[in-house]
Amino acid sequence: MRQTALQTVFELAKQDSRVVFIGSDLGAGTLKEMREELPNQFFMEGISEQYLVGFVAGLAKEGFIPFVNTIANFFTRRAFEQIAMDVALHNLPVRLLASGGGMVYAPLGPTHTAVDDFALMTSVPKLRVFSPGDANEMRELLVHSLNDPHPWYIRFGKGGEPIFSPNKQPEPNKPKLFGDPEAEILFLTTGILIHEVLEAMKELNKSSKNTVGAIHFSELTNMEFEVWAERYQSAQKVIVAEEHIPQGGLFSIVLRLLHTKNLDTRKLAQLSLPFAYLHNYGSQRDHLRVHGLDAIGLINQARVE
Amino acid sequence: MNFLARHSEALKVELSPDSVRLRKRLLEITQIAGRGHIGPALSIIEIVDVLYRHVMVNPGETHSKEWSKRDRFLLSKGHGCLGLYVVLEDLGLLHGLDLLNFCSYESSFGGHPESSTVPVIEFSTGSLGHGMPVAVGLAVAAKLKKESWRVFVVVGDGELNEGSNWEAAAHAYKHNLDNLVVIVDYNNMQASGEASDVLEMHPLKDKWEAFGFETSEVNGHDREELARALNERNSNNSPRCIIAYTVKGKGVKKAENSSVWHHKAKISAEEIDALTLDLTT
Repeated sequence: MRQTALQTVFELAKQDSRVVFIGSDLGAGTLKEMREELPNQFFMEGISEQYLVGFVAGLAKEGFIPFVNTIANFFTRRAFEQIAMDVALHNLPVRLLASGGGMVYAPLGPTHTAVDDFALMTSVPKLRVFSPGDANEMRELLVHSLNDPHPWYIRFGKGGEPIFSPNKQPEPNKPKLFGDPEAEILFLTTGILIHEVLEAMKELNKSSKNTVGAIHFSELTNMEFEVWAERYQSAQKVIVAEEHIPQGGLFSIVLRLLHTKNLDTRKLAQLSLPFAYLHNYGSQRDHLRVHGLDAIGLINQARVE
Repeated sequence: MNFLARHSEALKVELSPDSVRLRKRLLEITQIAGRGHIGPALSIIEIVDVLYRHVMVNPGETHSKEWSKRDRFLLSKGHGCLGLYVVLEDLGLLHGLDLLNFCSYESSFGGHPESSTVPVIEFSTGSLGHGMPVAVGLAVAAKLKKESWRVFVVVGDGELNEGSNWEAAAHAYKHNLDNLVVIVDYNNMQASGEASDVLEMHPLKDKWEAFGFETSEVNGHDREELARALNERNSNNSPRCIIAYTVKGKGVKKAENSSVWHHKAKISAEEIDALTLDLTT
């Protein structure tokens, strides 16, 4: 997903001189071709994320569209104030490309696992927050972003995910619907967890007496409720699964949305990472399994009466 | 000349009629609002006034075709905004916005400057340590567009405690930003007292030079000295820093070098009357 994103930025930069790429000590090989072909649109800055975000705000203010990449937490935690004040307060078209969303960096420990980024980023007015599920969606979102005047935060998944979404997407930010339109069990999810959900759906369709459906949200700041309202209303059980702490993510957003629409929220169930610093390492997959966010965990939750 | 001698020179500067007029207006505004960062605003008045009046190219005409060619100004120490507001008003650049309702609910003018409510303000500031990184972005943008406009940013000496300034300074050197001028408002006071007691930043000139800035020191209340330094062009490829020695509360004896007047709310009309009298005598 990251490779696709960076390559897409390069392609966009070739077509549009407003597009610039900025990284923070990302390694010598990063976008080597772009660095050579478009040196004026490529910046590799030092390890200084507060500066980095202020710097790109300055570029954006003068008409550039900066795509800036570093590890998710170093944006969301270290440079939170710069995101809120320099970028979002001024409503500048900065694209924050956040590597290692969720538990991607599980082996590196809690300093590097981005499990609270949705909560932090959705608290910033004007900032649009995205969590694509595959490389196609990532690419289409970035292409789409050129015409949007607002700032974006985009969480990167793990890389190498299977492709579940179409090659061309006229509205890549819209929720994607799967399964029976009148499904009794409905999964709501975002990011790379859609793959676990689709696998769980496949198994449940074979073994469960209930019909199953799913909705994938690539954007968390524009929920397009009208697109999935009927599915929500007809479902008997709705499971919200996210690679995030329980607070401030997809579940919180859905709950608040339903509350404002005066809809029944008692059928909601939440599957998330715990509200804790996780001191186990292993892989992203290990953590999804332990916390019931892999396909087996989702199936088990679907079977709870 | 050492720091104390420079500070004492700044204290001695006799204010010009323009400088007195701007300060009177500042106190008048503060009297109505009953609050404000008076001390930090009084220390930057000559810096800002000289920049807007005698240095910057087309700094204020937001409706002009030449606006995109203007020199950019950032007040990174946003709490000194009263000093900026009175200069902009004096130059007729507020275009009907009423400064007298400073800090009231519907005012365009808050205790920190906002570009969304006052078009001539380049960038909203308030939290310290933000101006320099943004200024580097603006200056790089000018280079990319092959534009000749310059970027001026005023930072406070206390503000230099923030590490983001030094991150930006290192990158300004890396990008050879000879279109960037940083002006340090060195009044040696911050909210808790003398800046040198809170966190010693000396030797400040050496620090900026070590970061690759061509650095000079001026009396921050001497208009001629300021104009000379600010109109000087950077050497090729070098960003520039001007350390302007100033006095917090300059011109109002009771407020000079006083952390009490760093920020004050619930200021009575009588207190302001006393400060105004102090200014004129």
